[in-house]
Order: sequence, then structure tokens, then C-alpha cells
Amino acid sequence: MYVIARSVFRHKMKAIGVLVILALGFLFLHAFQLIFTVIAPHEGLEAQTMYDYMGSGNTLSIFAILLAAVVTSDLISEDLAGRSFVLYFSRAVKVRDYLAGKGAASLLVMSIMCLLPPVAVAIAAIATQSGDDYAGSAGVLARTAVAGAVMTVFFVPYGLMMSSFTKRKSYAAVGTFMSFFVLLIVAEIFAEFDPAWRVISPADALSFASGWIFGVETPEYVDWPALAAFMAGFVCAPAVVVYLKLKRQVVGG
Amino acid sequence: MTTAGEGSAATGTTGPHRLSAKDVTVRFGQVVALNGFTADIPEGVIGLLGPNGAGKSTFIKASLGLVPLERGSISVGGLDSQAESLRIRDDIGYMPEHDCLIPSMSSVELVSYMGQISGMGQRDAMQRCHEVLDFVGIGEERYRLVKSYSTGMKQKVKLAQAIVHDPALLFLDEPTSGMDPNGREEMLDLVRRIGATGKTIIVSSHILQEVERVCGHAIIISEGRLVRDGKMGALMAGEEGLQNLTVRGDAKALEAFARALGAACTIVRKADEGVGQASFSVRGCGDGRGIFGLAREHGVQVRSYTPDRISLEDVFLQAFQGGGRSGD
Repeated sequence: MYVIARSVFRHKMKAIGVLVILALGFLFLHAFQLIFTVIAPHEGLEAQTMYDYMGSGNTLSIFAILLAAVVTSDLISEDLAGRSFVLYFSRAVKVRDYLAGKGAASLLVMSIMCLLPPVAVAIAAIATQSGDDYAGSAGVLARTAVAGAVMTVFFVPYGLMMSSFTKRKSYAAVGTFMSFFVLLIVAEIFAEFDPAWRVISPADALSFASGWIFGVETPEYVDWPALAAFMAGFVCAPAVVVYLKLKRQVVGG
Repeated sequence: MTTAGEGSAATGTTGPHRLSAKDVTVRFGQVVALNGFTADIPEGVIGLLGPNGAGKSTFIKASLGLVPLERGSISVGGLDSQAESLRIRDDIGYMPEHDCLIPSMSSVELVSYMGQISGMGQRDAMQRCHEVLDFVGIGEERYRLVKSYSTGMKQKVKLAQAIVHDPALLFLDEPTSGMDPNGREEMLDLVRRIGATGKTIIVSSHILQEVERVCGHAIIISEGRLVRDGKMGALMAGEEGLQNLTVRGDAKALEAFARALGAACTIVRKADEGVGQASFSVRGCGDGRGIFGLAREHGVQVRSYTPDRISLEDVFLQAFQGGGRSGD
């Protein structure tokens, strides 16, 4: 698993698409926030500040889905197209090791966009705070890490599933990205009748979840069990589907 | 990689990398790929022969535990291919028939990556990768992406990835597929050299001449069943006790020699090849000293005197017509 993860990670960190999205994300999201956090006078790290940065808008979610689409699109589709599965599975590699390796590499790349910069911003805020409540700030730092981890994990299984459905990485990338917008549009349509439907929009779901993690005020209409079910389903169901699909393809893995 | 010497005979009949299949049936939907296939495969360089769709690749995949068996069992070095497939694969190299290389990698990256997946350390895998790429004849191109390679180079990289972890048992599925004559020669030479190191190699092919040249033992499959197997020498031996004789001389001498030969032993076949040459298939001539004596006596020249031998193609055709015999 470690060997597969390392190889995929190295390749991804040389891929132009990944580098462009990471650069744009840093420029438009993280760099501004970091500069603002350091320059603006603050007594401590506020949960609301981090929520506004990470969860309240859709920008980070859009960058996250874009990155997930680019990172995961070829991970399985390329092996399907090139029939390289046999190279892995003629060796003592199990399907779960193969998927864990590919998934771990994707999570590492995703964390460069979704987890590490917010944690860096939070640490910079704590380092430059004027107040003494370091314990409170550390608590927000921990919440930041949790929110970043959720965002890191959220789109990867779905992207891997889309990659296992096709031999063309472009289809997988477009499929992953479009699913995000289809769910967003469906949520918007149904929200006209009941705003609780917003939980089926991945961006809104992440926003509500971030709000809960940071302990800030969230809309009253959010149905928390439904949100939890949707998020768990969005992560677990694709993971199970892709595992079973590969398992069926590779007997004895 | 030890490359010295040549030798391709199937050696032992028992050993850690012996394969045996017992009543193996594999079905893909309505298609029966292996139908009660039973074979005991010794160590050495083994040819797995059969027409397209005979079940050769399915047998290899079944041995690796990559396809489920409907019935029967395959044992690789005493391990069950279904229950202990991961342990089996630890010490097996597999060169698939189809294109399977990762196009976005160079051959150095790919082969060392496969070495690491097989459990080698990063440094060892890289060192070994260069050794095997040198061995298969991939030069500076090893740093180019695999997708830019010719078919012959891809075949060599496929072989390199199969041997990078130094497995004791190798499955080569149509190793010369798509290669030009020079490439075929090189590939067969590589197979021969690997075989000389004592590894067991199972070469699946439908090109009989190739198998004839590198393998010491052959297994012929048709419609998922074993139709013939045995040592190459025994399979290709002709009718027992039959000798082929070719002599040259003037017409009168040849006629007299034929009469004397007919008196000394049994002539099964006789052919006048023209230009003063005749050939005979004879039986019961002892060790041949008598024939040389007769030739000297009648003033004819013995051009060849050999035991009857048939080509693998004949063995193959006889197998499909239900004739011939298995080798020992």
C-alpha cells in the first residue's frame, strides 16, 4: 500500500493539472487569508473566523471538488484502459491494499489544499495573537484540523468510484465534477419547497458540517441526522461500490 | 541474473515449483474455458500449446488464482491456487499476453515500482531494475515513457517486470506476440537464458517452432482439455525402431544397394529423390554398421542415417486427430 501511495503521490505532484489547481487555490484562498490573519490585529484564534474562511462560502468546496476530480480521475481508469490491473494482482497485492494505496495518495494531495493550509493559517494566527487564551485558540486549531480532514476525505471515494466506471480519465473527471453540480442544482430546486433539502448539496453539506465542527450558528432548517446520513453515504457508499467492483474484476485479491 | 550457459530441458519431476492441475473446470458464463483439465507439469522450460481459445491463458490465470475454479484444483509448489493465491504470487513472475504497461511511466519507473510492490526495498528494486533492463536489452530508452515504445520493446519491459523480483516460476503468455523476426529471436534467447538458470518457465504459445526450440516439455491443450503432454524428445520421436536413411550414388549402384538393403532389413518406405539420391525408412537394421558395410560394398555414399523424428507441428496435428502418443 505504501509503495503504491508513494508512487501515485509523486506522479500527482508532477501533474500540471494538479499543480495549477493547487497554485490557484493557494493564491485565491489561502495566501489572502494568511496575510489577512497575520496583519489584522486579533486577540486569539476565533472559530467564527476559521468557519468564514473554510466553511461559509463554496469556494474551498469548489477547489476541493476540482482537485479531487483531477487527482482521482485516472487512478483506476488508467489501469482499466491499460489493463495494468494484472501487473498488480499477479503479485501478492489485495484489492484493499491497491485501493488503500491509491486512496492514501489522493488524500495526501487533497490535504495540501484542504487541511495543511488552514492548519498553517490557524498556527500563524495563534503565533501572532495579542491575547493570552492559547488554550481556546488551540481548541479552534483542533477544530480546524477536523474540518480540514473532513473536507480532505469527502470527495475522494466518490472520485475513485467515478474513475472505476470508465476507461477514460476525462469522463471520470467530468463525471465527478458534474455530480457535484447536479446535486447542487437538485438541492436548490427542492430547497424551494423545503430548505432542509440543501443537505444533499455537497458544498452545503460541508458548510453545515464545518459550522457544527466549529460550533458556530447554523441554519435551523438543517436536519442533522439527514446530514450525517448523506455525508456518511457520500463517503462510504462509493468506497464500497469501488471495492466490490474491483473485487469482482480481480478474483483472489 | 545468471545468464551463462544454455539448456532448456525439463528437469525434475518433483520440486518446489511443480504445478499440477486436477480436473479443473473454469467457466465464463456459457463458455467453458477449461473442461476437466488435468496435468502434472514438471520443472524446467515447459511449452503450453494450443490454438487460440484453447484455455492456455485461462490456465495461467487460474494458477495465479485470478479466475475462480468451478471444479477441481491447481497446486503450485504444493500450495492451492485458490486458497493460497497470495503466497503463490509471491514467488511467481507473470508476463501477460496483452498490453498491460502503465503508459505514464518510464520503464525504469515501472520495473522498479513492480519490484517494490513485490516486496523489494527502494534501492534494491532500482538496482535490480537496471540489471534486468540491461538483461532484456533496453538501453537508454529506459528513461522514456513506455507509451512511446515499439511492440518489441514493450514485450521486453513486460518480461523485465516479470523477472525483477527473481521469481522461481515464470509464466510467459505469448512472449513473442507482435514481434518481428529479430525480436522473436532475441526473446527466445532470453527465455532460453532464463531457463538455463534453473527457473521453471511456462511458455504459452501457439507458435510451435518457438516452443520446439526453447522448451524441454510440452503440454497441448484443446477446448480446455489436455490432449497430449510429455518431454519434447519423446513427443517428437517418430515410430519406434524406424530409421531414416539417405544415400547417394549412380543409378545401378543404388539399385543394387536397395536390393541388398531389402535382404538385410525391412524397408518401410522408399523414395527416389532424383540426381542420384534415394531415401529409405528402414527397420531392423541393428546399430547401422551393416548398412555402412552394404553402402561401402555397393559403392554408394551414406548422406544421413537418423532415427525417425517428427516435427512438433506433426505432434500437434496428430493430437488433434486423436493419433500419436504422449511422451514419457
